Amino acid sequence: MKTNYLLPNKLKPLGWILFIGGIISGLIIVFSNYEYEPLKAKVLSIFNEGFLGSSEMEYFKIIETGISGELASVAIIIGGLIIGFSKEKVEDEFIFKLRKDSLVWAIIFNYFILLLAIVFIYDLTFFHVLVYNMFTPLLFFIIRFNFLKLKSRSHEE
Amino acid sequence: MKNNIKVQRAIHDLTQADLAKKIGVSRQTINAMEKNKYVPSTVLSLKIAKLFKKPVEDIFFLEDND
Repeated sequence: MKTNYLLPNKLKPLGWILFIGGIISGLIIVFSNYEYEPLKAKVLSIFNEGFLGSSEMEYFKIIETGISGELASVAIIIGGLIIGFSKEKVEDEFIFKLRKDSLVWAIIFNYFILLLAIVFIYDLTFFHVLVYNMFTPLLFFIIRFNFLKLKSRSHEE
Repeated sequence: MKNNIKVQRAIHDLTQADLAKKIGVSRQTINAMEKNKYVPSTVLSLKIAKLFKKPVEDIFFLEDND
């Protein structure tokens, strides 16, 4: 099966390390109420209007801020993309179909959960939904894809 | 669509893994086809037919609801 966007299979372990490492550090940050911040750095902010528009809009400014949340997010997203979009050991049309089906399933499931959250979760608690929802499409996709692969592997003959 | 890959496999004395290797797919793919959970592409059907030296119609059959 020829595809033009799948990464080599040997990247998969790296993807898992980034993904799991990112999730663990992300959860540490979340459970510290976003106060755990071991890393600070000067970064380029394209635009910034403070907390919910509390100050004037500023464009293209170098600011100093904590970056551990950003690093964790980048690790989860890059790791997740590598896991979901690198080739299987034997990549064929059936595996390709499983991957596509899992993607469709993950998008529908994710937006169903998000709809429930929009309707039933209010005020700043909804902030948690926004944070989790950055990663849940990838997470649901990876879980579903691996579940389908495992399911099709069982029942020999 | 139905198929008799399992029968053909038995005639040629091949395991799912053997057949998978011969046509370059994963064993899951053979398994899913035999259980009628996956309809193979035309390319894959032709490859299987070629391996068993039979016309495609002798291995794959349309069902009434196709």
